[in-house]
Amino acid sequence: MMKQTTLSNLARFKEAVQARPAELAKARKSGAKVVGYFCSYVPEEIIHSLGLIPVRLCRGGDERLVELGARYASTKSCVFIRESVGLFADGKDPWVNNTDVVAVATTCRQIYRLAELIKYFFKMPTVVLTVPHNFYLPEGKDYFQRELVNFTSELEAMAGKKLDKDALAESVKLYESIRRALREIYEFQARDSAPLSWKDVFYVIHAGFYLDRQHYLSLLIGLLEELKESSRTNVSISRDKRPRVLLSGSILAPGDSMLIDMIEEMGGRIVADDLCTGLRPLSQIELKDYSLAGIAAAYRERVPCASIPYLLSPKTDRRLANLAHLVEAYNAEGVVYHSLRFCDPFSFKAGETKNFLQDKVAFLEIHTEYAPSAIGPLRTRIEAFIELIGNLRSGKE
Amino acid sequence: MSSIKMSFKDGMLNYPEELKEAFLESGGLKLMDGTYVSAEEIWDFMTKEAPRRFPFLYTVVPHAVFFYRIYHYVEFLWPIKYRYLLLSLHDRIVKARAKGTPLVFAQGGQTLEPYYVAKAIAIRPFLVQLFANCSVDGLSFKDLSLRELRNIEEGKRELSPDVCNIIGAHNLIKRGATPVDLVAPYALVRCSDMCYVVESHRSSARNTPIFLVDFPTNARPDQEWPVEYVAKSIRGLVKKVVEVGGKAPSDEDWKATIRLFNRGRQAARNFVWTWWGARRIPTYGDDLLGITRMANDMTADPVAVVQILEEANKELKERVDKNIKGIEIAEKPVRLFACGTCFYPPTERIEKAGGAIVGYDDWWGRILVDVEEEGDPYVNLAKASLRFSYEQSTEERAHWTAGQAKKCGARGMINQYNWGCSLQAASARMVNEIVKKEIGIPSLDLEMESLGRPELLEQYINRVESFIEMLS
Repeated sequence: MMKQTTLSNLARFKEAVQARPAELAKARKSGAKVVGYFCSYVPEEIIHSLGLIPVRLCRGGDERLVELGARYASTKSCVFIRESVGLFADGKDPWVNNTDVVAVATTCRQIYRLAELIKYFFKMPTVVLTVPHNFYLPEGKDYFQRELVNFTSELEAMAGKKLDKDALAESVKLYESIRRALREIYEFQARDSAPLSWKDVFYVIHAGFYLDRQHYLSLLIGLLEELKESSRTNVSISRDKRPRVLLSGSILAPGDSMLIDMIEEMGGRIVADDLCTGLRPLSQIELKDYSLAGIAAAYRERVPCASIPYLLSPKTDRRLANLAHLVEAYNAEGVVYHSLRFCDPFSFKAGETKNFLQDKVAFLEIHTEYAPSAIGPLRTRIEAFIELIGNLRSGKE
Repeated sequence: MSSIKMSFKDGMLNYPEELKEAFLESGGLKLMDGTYVSAEEIWDFMTKEAPRRFPFLYTVVPHAVFFYRIYHYVEFLWPIKYRYLLLSLHDRIVKARAKGTPLVFAQGGQTLEPYYVAKAIAIRPFLVQLFANCSVDGLSFKDLSLRELRNIEEGKRELSPDVCNIIGAHNLIKRGATPVDLVAPYALVRCSDMCYVVESHRSSARNTPIFLVDFPTNARPDQEWPVEYVAKSIRGLVKKVVEVGGKAPSDEDWKATIRLFNRGRQAARNFVWTWWGARRIPTYGDDLLGITRMANDMTADPVAVVQILEEANKELKERVDKNIKGIEIAEKPVRLFACGTCFYPPTERIEKAGGAIVGYDDWWGRILVDVEEEGDPYVNLAKASLRFSYEQSTEERAHWTAGQAKKCGARGMINQYNWGCSLQAASARMVNEIVKKEIGIPSLDLEMESLGRPELLEQYINRVESFIEMLS
């Protein structure tokens, strides 16, 4: 077994994240503006190239904040939305407290409602990027392009300057490098023996929501070098025989580690995911030109989120095709499909996704609501699933 | 016409013989297929055939909650014709489909001109359910409720327990119980579930063709591109309707259809304004709701509906001029404004408790917006749809709601939403606060588990009765 974790580099990520709120506060005092955003369809490159500081606001797993948020939203709102509203109501989150404006991409309509709630109840300025539902039609593509132009002009007003083509190109290249580095970490994790726990993988990815992006890239490069070195020096490794699990479904936000912990505790090993806080925004995103049109096309063409409906045949659904591809590419033996309470797109599509994959891989559907009371039932189901995968593997061998 | 008591025999209400002459004098209905149904035919249907085939409507069931129920008194003649259209919906659609007219699913909150101009019939979730209910003769209210509950349950099992009760209509389509040829609603901002429920048809055994007219969130009136986008989407919709058996519309078809629908909207507006201006509340709240519903969903025949709406205005004006009060309405009821989508407050119980629903924001918001008759119809429809109150930001919608609640003299507001309706539930507190700040009236938040589930009615009524008592 390869040595677990490259502690020195991971510690650097943790130190950097811990120091970041103070850095943001200092930067804001000097006149910098922080754009806190929800949803991976917000093009960070644009924010970054305008000299604004992007921070992805994203928190889950806190029942107290869910309850707090429900007072402003509703107990029938998606649990992630409730907690997000709760972050603003609570007033203690360092990322929220260091945000000057919130940007949202309305892939999901509940995120639009979130923007309205935080604007009204907490007086937080918001900028909205509408994401069309008909991405696969010409008018949907045009519409997204126009929306992006409008979104950019609102950010330009905030930044006090126009978008510069060269600055945009630089930002795009930076983000491409970040994505490349993160994909490489996934490839390491998919090997017969993974150097990092999945919780650490997610920590590394989520650190990128907060850190200065150039600094973040340097940390990623450092981590990769250490992983490669470790891989070279630890030649005789034993294969990690734990059942290989792929995570899919609703957002798993920082703080919401119950499922990951449970899978690893019950003897499973996560090898990949198609989450919006994981691999999906990093996949199949290719900018052909460094312009707003190029960004619109790239974000449109990448693996779509389930919250963008696709009305053609499931056989041509790129989200499903990507999931099937990941199962094969990462040699997953089981898929744990997780949906949050009242997360409509992912919970409604669970059955269809299961049917699509049923001939390829074992599938477990989990529905959660950030409630500690769910731990017991969840443990039972995950344990049984891991055992099932193990038995299926034995049967094949 | 003053109030006439319904006849009552063997537990069933029926229209009394003494009403017949006046009804026959009111004339029949011209239908959109060019045929004419005489008043005599309507009367025979409503007094003989319908009670036999659809006893659920005629049986006295104290806890029944469906707005087109028959009351103990008849105060107007037009509701008889409206109920005729509702109860004959199944037969009319079967007949139309036999002649090649496609049936297309639309949703609440949107315009219907694009479907009718392409010679299709558009039906909303409520009418999908009604068609299925009327496809079986002799159902009691209990039978009806159980069928609806089973249907919703089946839909939820297939999709998710979190889905809004709209799943009932979609499940009927998937099962073929309502023979929809195309599922093609607008993906309005008011609803988050609809897109994914529509999407789920692609994996169903029946695989009904699907289409979404996409709607932009956060569209501003000074922005051209949201209008262009919606207009293109509507163009795609009409093309799709033609593909499933409709007819490509000419410019004249467009003008005539838009004009007809505008006529209906104007008639509904006039009715509501006259009602609001009355010194005493002239009729049941369900009649007010019926008018606004008719002008929105057209009950599968816009020609007949517009005629009924225009007749209703004449009847109402006469009643208001004579200062006639609705017979079962209190002399000074607590006036309530109903806010929220996809629900019908149980007005009979509210009225018995001394209240009266005097306005509805949902259907009303669309009736206030006419579509321009000249120019590009797709652009005009897009512009009109983007002006609907529910398509604005929640803050803007709330300001509008406050204005309407003030106009109708409401002293309180009921803000209601269904299980699984995450978008409306999340906007409730904001709307209530803004309305309170602007016009000083309190709101009552209510969640309905299902569209009219009777066993939850008592909990609902407890809350509403207390609210009415508090306000009185």
